[in-house]
Amino acid sequence: MDMNINEFIARALEATAQAGISPAEVSCSISDAFSVRARNAQLEDYKVSEKHSITLRGKVNGRIGTARTQALDEDSLALLIQGVRESAELIETEEQDEILPPDERYETVVNFNEALEGISAQEKIALALGIDQLMQGADARIKPDDTVVATSCSTFTMKNSLGLDLSHRSNMIYSFTSALAKDGDRAATGFKLHWGYGMDAIKPEALAAECQEDALSQLYAGRMKSGKYPVVIKGSAMSDLLSTFCGIFSAENAQKGMSLLAGKEGETIASACVTLRDDPLMDWGLASSPFDREGAATFRKNVIEGGVLKTLLHNRKTAKKAGCKTTGNAAGAGQVAPTNFYFVPGEKTEDALLAQLGDGLYLTEVTGLHAGANGVSGDFSLLSKGFEVKGGKKVRAVEQFTVAGNFYQLMKDILEVGAELKFEGSPIASPAVLVREISVAGED
Amino acid sequence: MLTSSLAAQALARALACGGTFAEIFYEDTTEWSAILSANQIENAALSRPRGAGIRVYDGLRSIYVYTCDVSPAGLLRCADRAAAAVTDTKGSGRDVTLRESVTPNIHKIALPVLSVPAKERADVLRAVNSAARAVSDSIVQVRAGLTAKEQHVIIANSEGLFTGDTRTYTRLACSVVASDGKENQTGFFGPGAHMGFEFFKTRIDPAAAGERAAKQAATMLTAPYCAAGEMPVVIAGGFGGVIFHEACGHSLEATSVEPGMSEFAGKLGQQIAAPCVTAIDDGTMENEWGSENIDDEGTPTTRLTLIENGVLKNYMIDRLNGLKMGMAPTGSGRRQDYTYAPTSRMRNTYIAAGQDDEEEMIRTMGDGLFAKAMGGGSVNPATGEFNFAVNEGYLVKDGRIVSPVRGASLIGRGSEILMRIDRVGRHMTMEQGVCGSLSGSVPTNVGQPMIRVSKLTVGGK
Repeated sequence: MDMNINEFIARALEATAQAGISPAEVSCSISDAFSVRARNAQLEDYKVSEKHSITLRGKVNGRIGTARTQALDEDSLALLIQGVRESAELIETEEQDEILPPDERYETVVNFNEALEGISAQEKIALALGIDQLMQGADARIKPDDTVVATSCSTFTMKNSLGLDLSHRSNMIYSFTSALAKDGDRAATGFKLHWGYGMDAIKPEALAAECQEDALSQLYAGRMKSGKYPVVIKGSAMSDLLSTFCGIFSAENAQKGMSLLAGKEGETIASACVTLRDDPLMDWGLASSPFDREGAATFRKNVIEGGVLKTLLHNRKTAKKAGCKTTGNAAGAGQVAPTNFYFVPGEKTEDALLAQLGDGLYLTEVTGLHAGANGVSGDFSLLSKGFEVKGGKKVRAVEQFTVAGNFYQLMKDILEVGAELKFEGSPIASPAVLVREISVAGED
Repeated sequence: MLTSSLAAQALARALACGGTFAEIFYEDTTEWSAILSANQIENAALSRPRGAGIRVYDGLRSIYVYTCDVSPAGLLRCADRAAAAVTDTKGSGRDVTLRESVTPNIHKIALPVLSVPAKERADVLRAVNSAARAVSDSIVQVRAGLTAKEQHVIIANSEGLFTGDTRTYTRLACSVVASDGKENQTGFFGPGAHMGFEFFKTRIDPAAAGERAAKQAATMLTAPYCAAGEMPVVIAGGFGGVIFHEACGHSLEATSVEPGMSEFAGKLGQQIAAPCVTAIDDGTMENEWGSENIDDEGTPTTRLTLIENGVLKNYMIDRLNGLKMGMAPTGSGRRQDYTYAPTSRMRNTYIAAGQDDEEEMIRTMGDGLFAKAMGGGSVNPATGEFNFAVNEGYLVKDGRIVSPVRGASLIGRGSEILMRIDRVGRHMTMEQGVCGSLSGSVPTNVGQPMIRVSKLTVGGK
């Protein structure tokens, strides 16, 4: 027989105390989600969910063990205790994700909008069908694919036997639409996503128009000649690269030889125009939270400032090893991750960057990041799309080429960081950047 | 545990407001994983995901509601939420009678992982670590992970089906970093099977697995960058099959074919590959990583010929897309877990063994690339554009392998590469992957013999 969540959390903490496991901590994430998918003027999918997951951590003979469950029954209580014991017995690392009393002070940050919870399923369905409608018949070459409207609400709670009792709730809405542009043998896909915290964050006309433009802009793409080119990397593409390589800023990776930034604090690792910020306290940020997954208070910091590496991202375990304080970037399961993470904007518009580029490549999209980019070596070789630029103007679309380079070198080769920063459905973002040189493999 | 009477009640409730079909997928899973890193076991955790998803067809529309609350009240509430979304109210209020059916289990498990003492499980990781570090002084990091999973599923639907299956998976992941202080290179090998702990006694030696990943990293550390350009490429067997998986397999899933978003839509019976190419998707191979007894819709799994001598024979079809296409499901309806509605997915997918001599295909290729170990890749099914990383590549000059090269990638379009395969070797081997798509991440095997592609764009530096 299942218990309710609060009852189960209380029982789990009681059971650990009885079993002599101390201190102990329970974290619980609860999420509710809704999504609808429209295609060809019909609703294709309708999905509703409620999900929870309980993690128990506890100290046994000086080591902290972990076990998880979604089932909230008596069997699971026993399984959690057994799992924590067995896990603690196996673990050999000296540094542990300690279970600690609460920090003195936690900031407040808002990324929950009550009004979003009141929007009915019918309104979301109407929105999806409306966007799908806008995609139909606009251009004979456009074959609309699907349109999705989705909302979610998550609550993360932590309680431990040392008085910690924290909870944070966030929600969001997003919508995306995609299309195939076709003309004879030519084909190209388009995609656009809007997101935010209310219905007004989704602008149906703009979303449809931007998606169609994305598909059509690449429909007659030619190929790029192989060679080395100066390049402006569009913000969304640079965000994708930063997301892929953000692991190099993790102290966890650095301490394990998986990042070349180990021991480089205080050194210049990027061009002087580069400042990289981690900001968990940004209102309406996707990854905003006043505490991290260890219950440590979070704060804003520059990871790179004026090209100099100021700090890596730490949890308590890596901080203890490095002899510093946690940066509040614990991501759970001993991992470290950035929160809202972005290159701080400079002064120049994208047009000004293209003018400064003169002749070269405007790189708009990189794909296959999970395969063509190596988070450890920093090497990447990625199938890409973009435009050839002559005299500061986009002259023709290009596709079917790869750009190759190394992310560590790329940060040094940034000549300018653009002025416009936009988070596109991800907490990791970048303005457009002008880069000295990148290798292109296309036509011989 | 989901009983047949509760399942019948929930299915009837799900159809209370109309709808043509209802299905319930229940799972209770035990997972255990441990990670060794920096010479120490740093993570070990047991977890028990459990929940259920109810799907209703509202015409050709799928309604999917899932919950972790599998109490009778929780499941009935889940059914009511699905019923509330139904718009086509014809034929509402049906009774559901279930008949229990048992599909024979062809994947025998000798030694469930959790029955093995924890220390013995940890020793697998230690063996990987020592063997990998012994390969070269340049090996600076070894990360070894062991994952064991036992998924119990019960599937019932309004056509009377009430069935179940247990899927047991064991997988080892060896990631190795070699460094000369200035640069890092990585090696990876991740063998797995639909097996228990006997996997390490009968199929895979953990030490050999660690050594293989380490050799790859050490070799790549001294390799120069691959030059870019168009050239013939020989792709080794095993994980080389990822090229077929990505460039062709995804485009043969009903998910892409049904909405016409595949370059192979409407091409059944047509020549889509060179005549030397035959490709199979087989979910029935005993104890293989991508095998099951039934799919996640309760349909018995099958062996499906996708391409025979270059001619397109079959698509991989799930129940709902089958309805839309007017074609029978092929036992290909899969999902990561109860949080996803199922859709058409690959299982063990491979290019079948051919007639060609492997030594000859390199000797006669002229100048090009030998891709010994492939990394992952991705594809846009609508256009067929793909991109694969070559984890371990070798430069070929005048039919001879001359030196390792790093940083190469293979790019092109699926339809082109299939037509340009001009050699297919005699020995097919498979390796394991985790394939991500609409219904989440599912275990799949990729495979092929050594093959040659007459011309491909190689990305490099």
